[in-house]
Amino acid sequence: MKRIVLLAACASITACSGHIASTQVSPLDDVRAMIQKAKDAGAEKCAPALQAKAVAGMYHAAHELDEGSANPASENDDLISSALSNAKKAYAKAKKGCKKPAPEVITLEGVFFETNKADLTASSTATLDRAVKTLQKRPNINVEVAAHTDSRGKASYNLDLSNRRAASVMDYLVAHGVAASRLSSKGYGETQPRADNATVQGRAKNRRVELRIK
Amino acid sequence: MKRFSLLAIALLMSVGTASAASWMDSVDDRADALATQLKGNNSYHAHLARELADVAMEEKSQHDISVARAFMAKAEENAAQAGGSK
Repeated sequence: MKRIVLLAACASITACSGHIASTQVSPLDDVRAMIQKAKDAGAEKCAPALQAKAVAGMYHAAHELDEGSANPASENDDLISSALSNAKKAYAKAKKGCKKPAPEVITLEGVFFETNKADLTASSTATLDRAVKTLQKRPNINVEVAAHTDSRGKASYNLDLSNRRAASVMDYLVAHGVAASRLSSKGYGETQPRADNATVQGRAKNRRVELRIK
Repeated sequence: MKRFSLLAIALLMSVGTASAASWMDSVDDRADALATQLKGNNSYHAHLARELADVAMEEKSQHDISVARAFMAKAEENAAQAGGSK
């Protein structure tokens, strides 16, 4: 008898050494399924806090269920419904998609080129020198120099012209001390107007150079 | 003597489920260390680590120390996957 008691005590010590109960139990079927659905929809990236709450809640519920009659059923039900609710919210958020913040764009007001050329006018240097200072103050950012034209002329010509103009601005920035490794250049031609090309003012707004922070 | 041997084996099995450090440190200390380690980290694994640490503290408050340690160990696994503070 003493041996049995002793063995039971030993078994008890070992059993109480602490473990997290399995989540593969029927009361957690819905929670498991919803967590997996949310994960597949990208919740770990798009809704990390909600997905984590759901998963931790599921482990907690599994533990409480494992304790059986030691806990009131309502307490277990609350844990399960809370985990399920969080998983549903995580799924809904993930389904909408991860909203990426809009990239920061600095429009270089006052940068002009000779007509149909990529040569910068003399009046452009003041703006570009300010851009150089800005980039030197923010050494951790990389930028794309993006150039745009209005819609007059052929699209292919405008694309080529904008590519050359973007490269011209990048060359200026590099020549004045900005590391080339931080810069790239790209022309968008007439594809991204921000005003009406039917008016003189609209076309002037569309001819522009921007710094797009990556 | 046999009784002592059996008890010693049981205790060793119990200790074997946790690392030496986690056996020595309190759940509170480990929760504090985890919070510091994950400061500013908003990844999924960082959030999960913090949630599991909260469960561990709740279990500890109910005097279920062994379960608290188990949840804390799982929290620490996720903290390691989260890659620390950001």
